[in-house]
Order: sequence, then structure tokens, then C-alpha cells
Amino acid sequence: MSDQTKSWLETRLPLASSMQSCIWNMKMAVEKPYLAALGSLITATLIFLTLSGFVLSLFYVAAPGAAFDSIQFISRNVDNGWLVRSFHATGATMLFAATYLVVFRTLLTGGYRAPNELTWILKLVFLGLVLIIGYFGYAMADGAVSYWSLHETTVAGARLTSFPGAISNWVFGGPAGPGTLGRVAVLHSALALLGFGVLALHLAAKRAVAPVPTKTVTLHPYYTSHHFVAFAVFALIFAVLVFFAPHWGENQLNLAAANPLVVPAVLTPPWYLLPVSAFAAASSSPLGSIFLVLAGFAVLFAAPWLDQSKGTKPGLFYKILVAVLALDVFGLCMAQADGPSMLSSILSTIFIGWYFLHFLVLSPLATAMESKK
Amino acid sequence: MKFGISAAALLAASLAFSNAAKAEDTLSPLHWQSQGNFGSYDKAALQRGFLVYQTVCASCHSANALHYRDLTALGFSPDQVAAIASNVKLADGSQASMDDNFKNPFPDSQVAAKAFGGAIPPDLSTLVAAHPRGTQYIYSLLTGYQAAPSDVNVMANHYYNVAYPGNQIAMPAPLKDDMVTYADGTKATTAQEASDVAAFLTWASHPNLDARKQIGLRAVIFLIFLSVLAIANKRKIWSGVV
Ligand code: HEC
Repeated sequence: MSDQTKSWLETRLPLASSMQSCIWNMKMAVEKPYLAALGSLITATLIFLTLSGFVLSLFYVAAPGAAFDSIQFISRNVDNGWLVRSFHATGATMLFAATYLVVFRTLLTGGYRAPNELTWILKLVFLGLVLIIGYFGYAMADGAVSYWSLHETTVAGARLTSFPGAISNWVFGGPAGPGTLGRVAVLHSALALLGFGVLALHLAAKRAVAPVPTKTVTLHPYYTSHHFVAFAVFALIFAVLVFFAPHWGENQLNLAAANPLVVPAVLTPPWYLLPVSAFAAASSSPLGSIFLVLAGFAVLFAAPWLDQSKGTKPGLFYKILVAVLALDVFGLCMAQADGPSMLSSILSTIFIGWYFLHFLVLSPLATAMESKK
Repeated sequence: MKFGISAAALLAASLAFSNAAKAEDTLSPLHWQSQGNFGSYDKAALQRGFLVYQTVCASCHSANALHYRDLTALGFSPDQVAAIASNVKLADGSQASMDDNFKNPFPDSQVAAKAFGGAIPPDLSTLVAAHPRGTQYIYSLLTGYQAAPSDVNVMANHYYNVAYPGNQIAMPAPLKDDMVTYADGTKATTAQEASDVAAFLTWASHPNLDARKQIGLRAVIFLIFLSVLAIANKRKIWSGVV
């Protein structure tokens, strides 16, 4: 390629100069913390998951039993298949860790308050979406635990009537059978693509309400070097997990093939589904479970309107409350992971009670108090 | 010798260690070389473990995820593996080939269940991965057979085992001293056999463990270096700004 060709192309398609003006020279606020890179990290992880998932999909067989065998085939007989599988599983862990961290940080810093209501809602939509995708991926593993989890979910779903029943039927096509995993696999990848759309909307909404910075620097080299650090450290944590704890946070039992005759005593999901599974387990009826999970999400969605602060920054008391909430959810996950027992069901009830208390009573009170001062 | 393997296969298996040194003592204290962040498989132990597996366990258990060709990873030569495979008679009477899966000793699980009063010998290819502390568990299970305490009523067709949840297992004690003859001169005590077959089954569950840790170590060192570089770079660029 000579320089002449370049300018020929550049005159007709000014890629390089628009990159220069729109991206590299973009004005950015000074003093963004490293955690501000989480959005980029989430996008990159989703791209990574899409690519590794595409490779896996070339070998995956979406049928009960055969699905588990095909994953064994990938891990044992496909060149570097074990690595791609490990990339995908650990990628999911990193995506959830980053997403949960964003939600926590936004609560802690009051980042959901006006005019950020919509960015907050889009964050929650993304969380809900990856939870659904995560559940489908877990079901696709077709192991001794997830086989039965899918079975129970679909059977419960098929018993529902009217609208919830229609949705369940539409997604799963009735109680789990030979065709269910195929539907789940298609939705798993289709929803992942939808995730990019949500991320794009979030970025646009965030830009629209971002305060005009007083002091700015250009994206390059300032924020490229800043993101380089964030990406390197993120990749380091990722590599430690991939190579030294490839199944971290998963239920070991799910690494065995399912036995269609034996239901495991406890159906503990991977770590990132624990909060949802704990809310669902707190009710014994399917409708109650759905209600609790939706209510858990609803109070998050309502946070900007439950909040009573009027433009003030979150105070210490509020921040302590949010930290306690994080511990509360952590405790809830631990109780759920511990399996059903009298103690864990009592603890779960207390933790879930505190969760709603936090959003409906404590947080409004604390923010009202702090804005009076 | 319906399920066992023939003398020729044993010979083939033993060739591999004919010039290997005697096994080092991994029994006191009990450990496996593959444990820890830097541990890798002891191929001599894996080969001994395969001998135990093929002579003893394979007559009741399947390991569906494994092919005979995979055994080259244990240090067997392709010829030795071909000999091992050709000594396995498949259900239709033909010889197994390198590309066959490990033979399933029972035509289906119902036949297996009939043989053991309802209990089914589980597939061993992922058992270590699917069980917490799986390697140790296999060892404890195989060495955990004891006379039942007088106050315990052992069910029919069951055996008392301290390592098994509930203590009553339908698998008769599969190992005893000198069940196999190790070509490397290692004494085939029950504990040694149990430890070797536990090592073999760990490999069966995690065949990529060595590669994973090797690549992992390099990747982590590289990324630590990259992170330090990135931080230094960022500081330098930002030094005039804030
Ligand atoms: C005589 C047939 C027989 C032989 C030989 C045999 N097993 Fe088993 N094994 C069984 C049966 C039957 C069960 C199921 C026990 C039950 O469900 O109570 C079993 C179960 C097991 C389990 C599962 C324990 C659990 O927690 O569920 C392991 C592990 C195991 N065997 C390992 C081995 C190994 C290793 C060998 C070779 C050294 C071996 N077995 C040889 C018949 C056998």
C-alpha cells in the first residue's frame, strides 16, 4: 500500500481523521478512578464471551445427555478446547463480578440519583439480562445439578397459568424434554447480543447526563493509559482464575453427568445466581418465588424515587447502610449455598427482610436525614 | 477373565517402567504430586494407577469420556497403547482400537443394577472433579473398608466403609495387597494401589492439569509484568496533569 492509496481511501472514507477527532481527541474529565473503567471492562468481557461462546457453539450438542458429552468432548478432544471452555466459564464469573460491583458502587456513591435515573435503570436491565443468560448457560452445561434445575424450573413454569405460564411456555416450550436445550441455547446467544444493545443505550444515556467537566484531558494518551492499567489488572485476575481455579464458584457436582433417575439433594447454582436463587427459594410456591424475585428487582429500580436526598452527596451513615446491605446479600448467598436447613431458612428470611427494609425504610430515612443538615 | 485384561496387555503396560526407578514414597505423609499450584502428574504413578484401574476397577466401572489413545499422555508409547487396546474384547467380540472409548463392562445400567442389588457402579471419568477433595476421597474410600462395629446392621450386599457417606456401600472391597505386580518394583500394598489409582482417576478427570498450570504460570508472570508496566506508564503520562 503506497501513501497515494491511503490518501485515495482517506479522501473517500475519512476513517483516520474521524478516529482522531471523535475518539483519540475526545475531551474527558480529569480524576476518574480506575473503577470508572468497569464499563469498558464489561463491554470487553461481553465481546470475549461472545467469541469464546461462538467457538464452543461449533461443538455443542443441544440435547439432554449429549450436551454433557459434547462439553466433555470439547474439554478433552478439541485442541485447546479446555482452554476455551475455561475462558467462557471464567469470563462469566468476571462479567458478573464487574456487573455486581458496578451496581454496588452506584448505590454507594448515590450514582442512581437524578439525573442518572435512566442510566441506573439500564444498569439493572443489563444485570437482569446477564442473570437470565447466566442461568441459560448453566442449564446448557447439562450436569448432574443443572439438568435437574432446568427440569424443576420448566415443570414449575408449565404449571403456571395465564401470563407467566405463557412466557414460560414461550421460552421453554413446556416441561424439559429433548427440545428444551435447543431453545435455551438459542436464547442464551440471542440475549447476549441484546446485551450489547443495552450497553450502547447505557453509554448514550450516561453521556447525555454527564456533568460538563471543568478540567479535561484528551482520551489519548491519558485515558488509554488509564484503561491499560485497568485491563492489565483485570486480565491478571482473570488468568489466575482460568489457570488455577477454573471452576471457582461453580457447584462441583455439576461436573458429573446427570442421572435422569437420581435428583441431587441440593441444587446449588453457580455463585452469580445465588442471590436470585435465594429470593426464589424463600417461597415454596412458584408464583411466590417469581413475586419475590421481581420485588427484589423492583426496589432496586425504584431506588432513585425512594431516595429523599435533594442534590446532597451521600453521607457516612448512608454509606455504612449500603456496606451493610452488601454484607447482607453476601450472607444471603452463603446461607443459600449452604443448602436447605432450618438455620439457613431462618437466616435467609432475616437477610431478605433486611434487604427490603434497607430500600423501603432505612435508605429513605437516612437520605432524608442527611439532606436536612 | 471375562472383564480382566490379558497377560499380554499387562506385559505391555509394564514395559513402560522397566527402566523407571522405584516409586518415591507418597504414602507417608499421604500426598499426590499433582496437588498444589505448581504440582504436575507423576507419570510412573499414573501408569501404575492405570494398571490397577484396568486390572480391577474396569471390570465393574466405565470411564466413558476416555479413549485408549488418551493413554499416550501417561507416557505409554503408541505401540504399547495399541497393544493395550487390542487386548480389550468389545461386546461384539472384536478387538478395541486406539480410538475406542474405554470399554463399558455392562451393556446398560439395568444389567449393572441387577448385578449389585440395585446399586450402579458410577462412571469414573469425572468422579474426582465432581467430588470435593476427590483424589483424597478415592484413596480414603478404597482404604476405608473395616469390620462393621457390633451395633451396626450392615444391609444385604453391602459392606462397611468409614469413608462412604452412610458407611454402607454396595461395592465390595476391590483392592488387596499384591493384586497387581508393578514392573518398577514398587510394593503393591493396598495403600499404594489405592494411591496410584486415585492419581490415575485424577488424571482422568483433569487430563489438562499439567498444561493448564504451565501456561498459567507464564501467563500470570507476564500479566504481573504488564500490570506494573501499565501503572508506570500511566503515572508518567499523567504526571503533569493532577
Ligand atoms: C465388583 C465390582 C466393582 C469393582 C471391581 C469396583 N467397584 Fe467401585 N463401585 C461398585 C459399585 C456397585 C458401586 C456403587 C456403590 C453404591 O452405590 O453403594 C461402586 C462405587 C464406587 C465409587 C463411588 C462412591 C461414591 O461416593 O458414590 C467409587 C469412587 C468407586 N466405586 C471406585 C472404584 C475404584 C477406584 C475401583 C478399582 C480399584 C473400583 N471402584 C472397583 C462396584 C465395583
